[in-house]
Amino acid sequence: MSGLGQTLTSLRRRPGRTFLTALGTALGIATIVALLAVAGGAQHSAGELVQLGASDLGLFQKDAADPTTSILSTDLIPELRRTPGIADATPLVLLVNDLPKSPAAIVFGANRNGFLTQRLVFSTGRMYRSGHEIVVGDELARQLHTRPGDSLTVAHRTFNVVGIYHIGVAYQDSGAFIPLATAQTISGRQGEATTIPIKLDPGTRPAAAEKTIAARFPGILIIADAEEATRAGANGQLISQAALVIAVLALAIGGIGVMNTMLMAVIERRSEFALLSAVGWSGPQVAGRVLFESLLTTIIGAALGLIIGILGAQLLVNALGAQTFISPHVTAWDLGRALLVGVLIGILGGLYPAWRAAHVSPAHVLAQH
Amino acid sequence: MAGARVLVEHVSRAYGRALVLDDVSFVVAAGELVALTGPSGSGKTTLLQLIGSLDRPSQGRLLVDDVSVGELSHPARFRRGTVGFVFQLHHLLPALSAQQNVELPMLAARIARRERAARAIELLEEVGLADRASDLPSDLSGGERQRVAIARALAGRPRLILADEPTGSLDTVASRRVWELLASVRERRGTTIIVASHDATLAEHADRALRLLDGRMMPPAEEQFATEGVA
Repeated sequence: MSGLGQTLTSLRRRPGRTFLTALGTALGIATIVALLAVAGGAQHSAGELVQLGASDLGLFQKDAADPTTSILSTDLIPELRRTPGIADATPLVLLVNDLPKSPAAIVFGANRNGFLTQRLVFSTGRMYRSGHEIVVGDELARQLHTRPGDSLTVAHRTFNVVGIYHIGVAYQDSGAFIPLATAQTISGRQGEATTIPIKLDPGTRPAAAEKTIAARFPGILIIADAEEATRAGANGQLISQAALVIAVLALAIGGIGVMNTMLMAVIERRSEFALLSAVGWSGPQVAGRVLFESLLTTIIGAALGLIIGILGAQLLVNALGAQTFISPHVTAWDLGRALLVGVLIGILGGLYPAWRAAHVSPAHVLAQH
Repeated sequence: MAGARVLVEHVSRAYGRALVLDDVSFVVAAGELVALTGPSGSGKTTLLQLIGSLDRPSQGRLLVDDVSVGELSHPARFRRGTVGFVFQLHHLLPALSAQQNVELPMLAARIARRERAARAIELLEEVGLADRASDLPSDLSGGERQRVAIARALAGRPRLILADEPTGSLDTVASRRVWELLASVRERRGTTIIVASHDATLAEHADRALRLLDGRMMPPAEEQFATEGVA
């Protein structure tokens, strides 16, 4: 049997210890995956909010502290529609904290004929026709147990629920739409919008349109993709920075977890390494065995950690009550990256324990036993 | 392969202020089976560890053949090629079978897998345990475990075997068998064997006995008698 075979046999014949070691590693990897997934989800959700999901570009007031505090004049709309490459532009008002039953939900004020509201797919009811009507996203309707015929209060005004829609954008499915004029009255922004979503002509490249708009309308921030969206406004930048900090923290926590687990395993097996040294194994040979075991258990732990991490991220979001806005965002690349990081952490985390194992004094340890 | 000659010259070993070995000197000829006796705490284990390069002397010179053991830069390499250890508590790895345990020194020496397996089986045959090759240590009796440990000690074809209380945890029958095994190894292979034991009666199995007391080497019994007679 080869050294590899012996190591595998040793791991297999001690399933309890192997499992616990792998579990220690798994928890480290799971922490990384869960935190990265939640951070990614928050970033993705922030992107959706600013980009508004269904538009090609989103226009905001430059230097607004937060995208929701942006103010743009609706007089820009006809000008924008005349701009080459732009198929349509529609004003949108965002009302935040105005729905008492669900304070985190956003109420959108939009023209019923705008391209954004045209994309709402109604599962029940219809689009609003008057200033006292409201349509509710299916996620919000599920939370509030509301349906067409019920009434809903927004900023101390009572609205009749006339339809339930789904658009596939978390913020909008967890929010509601009311007529633009009503939203402008509520916010005291007559003739103004929070943002102007833009729909481009087929074949127009967003970058080219962005250039044209920037030249014609100085003072406007143009958001073309979700990643760019997270940099819009102070809060967006904060989310972006927080995601980076969380990733670094996750790596540190996971790395320390793996190292601690492997170190405990080495301390527990000091007599084994002392024996190997006594029968002629050199320091590098003992260290190599520990590193190899560390790598194997880390791979097992990483696989386990990916599953725990994905489930844990969802549980964490649910426990924080943030499921409406943060959907843990994990891609195949994220998983592959976490696995790779896990293996690297396994090697790095195994280095110090391997060094310790290689320096076990056989004279002292065997005499103690 | 002939056994190794061991020269211990004015060797001392102190741990802090505690002097465990004090100016110990003796020679073991190649192929000799020597019993190192003395009560617990007399320094037997320390002495074997120094000879086997598991530790370094504070003072004095230790030669195994022409190799100065206390000055080795790669002691593991020396152990792999020259020394076989047998401990009181066998120290078999519990997750590995008897055969895998015997293969451990050969793994370090990077001996090819087939040769390792063949040699391990051959050694287990020599200690009468070929049919237990795939058993785990937990399935073996105390005496059988110690015989596997002897087979492991022989795996690197050593010229010197250092056995520290190999019968310390065995009953009389198993102890006698281990001694017979060590004697037969010396007989067939010419290996030098030093066996530490606190039980002086076991020394009758050896060519001669060396006695340690409080870290000092005691003169042989006849010399002691002669000295006392003169006095």
